[in-house]
Amino acid sequence: MYVYLYDNFLKHRRYESVIKAIETRLTEYGIAGKIIRLQHYSSAEMLIEDEIRKGVKTIVIVGNDTTIGHVLSRSASFDAAFGFLPVGPQNEIAQVLGIPVGVEACDVLAKRRKLRLDVGWFNNRYFVSQLHIPPSNISIIYDESFKVSSKSGNMELVVCNLKPFVWSGKNTEYIVHPQDGKLEAFLRPVYESKILRRHQFEIPSIFPFEEMVVSSKTPFPVETDCKVSKEIKVTIKLAKNRISMIVGKERKF
Amino acid sequence: MSMFASTDEFNPAQSHSSVPDEVETIVGPSVVVEGDFASDGNILVKGTVSGNVKTGRLLTVESGAKILANVKAGEAVISGEVKGNMRIDNRLELTQTARVAGDIFCDTLVIAAGALLQGKVTMQGLDIENSKNGKKLGTKRFKSVLGGEETVEETGS
Repeated sequence: MYVYLYDNFLKHRRYESVIKAIETRLTEYGIAGKIIRLQHYSSAEMLIEDEIRKGVKTIVIVGNDTTIGHVLSRSASFDAAFGFLPVGPQNEIAQVLGIPVGVEACDVLAKRRKLRLDVGWFNNRYFVSQLHIPPSNISIIYDESFKVSSKSGNMELVVCNLKPFVWSGKNTEYIVHPQDGKLEAFLRPVYESKILRRHQFEIPSIFPFEEMVVSSKTPFPVETDCKVSKEIKVTIKLAKNRISMIVGKERKF
Repeated sequence: MSMFASTDEFNPAQSHSSVPDEVETIVGPSVVVEGDFASDGNILVKGTVSGNVKTGRLLTVESGAKILANVKAGEAVISGEVKGNMRIDNRLELTQTARVAGDIFCDTLVIAAGALLQGKVTMQGLDIENSKNGKKLGTKRFKSVLGGEETVEETGS
């Protein structure tokens, strides 16, 4: 039995035809199910818990990177298979999972190629896409064995789980796809350009890890799956094989 | 499993001619690493590492980079500074800007003209008989490239 969680933005008229086509395709495959529309204040965790109690085995998230991040960060510990139907822009995670955007995603869902995926864990909650700490005076201890700091003091930290890391440098945009089995930490020290008198980023340092502790003397912001909090000490871990996810053949891991 | 995917995407290995495989760990130019540093994949050091470095694959230390402790790696290309002993399973290359102060143990050693090395070099494959007590010392085969010229010495045991 399938339950479909629709993001709130899908009620816009421009998505009407895609949604209609998706629903038709799902009916053809015989995997249509209950549709729940996520509102701004709806708790995905409670909704999913309730549906699993009723016997639902597959939860399908319909939306974009924000939707999948919002839902999975709260429900990664549930015993259900998760599917994803990406619709509209901002769908980088779908590319990593090998799921095409739009109606074709139904074909991947129907094939039910399930994999157990790792997710990131930080201060008692999960994150599936990225964890971002904007330039702050932080120091990092990796796997309880080595400490990383910057000569300039301030560093930006991005920890990637499913969402690729993108940065611009020398008029080129670089994309790094994270690998499964580890979290990747991308550290970019900030320095002041002598000519432009402007803060610029150094090329990123990359460290694959399973556990890291980020600390600072002053509070620093932490952004995960569109949620921001201020922290002084953050422990980031890899929760292995946490989510059962339906993925495509063209996945990047 | 490839970390850096597809042709139009970033591969730091391409920016360094002596790095044949993909780089999985990069220590940036102004980054300081303190403590024992181990990785399963290739390591590219552009900054400073004050602690033991261990990898089963390729270690690249770029010009201007520093490692201030012992090193253990599958292969290594050193263009920066290493103050500590190095134990390399296969090939160790010291380029012309390399500065090494420490003992080296490796299988194949390549030293470019201009590289500075202070320490004992031990290589596998060459057996030297000690005339006093008849004990075998050292290794059997010595192979190195000095300033572009390769010399190979072999001594029977």
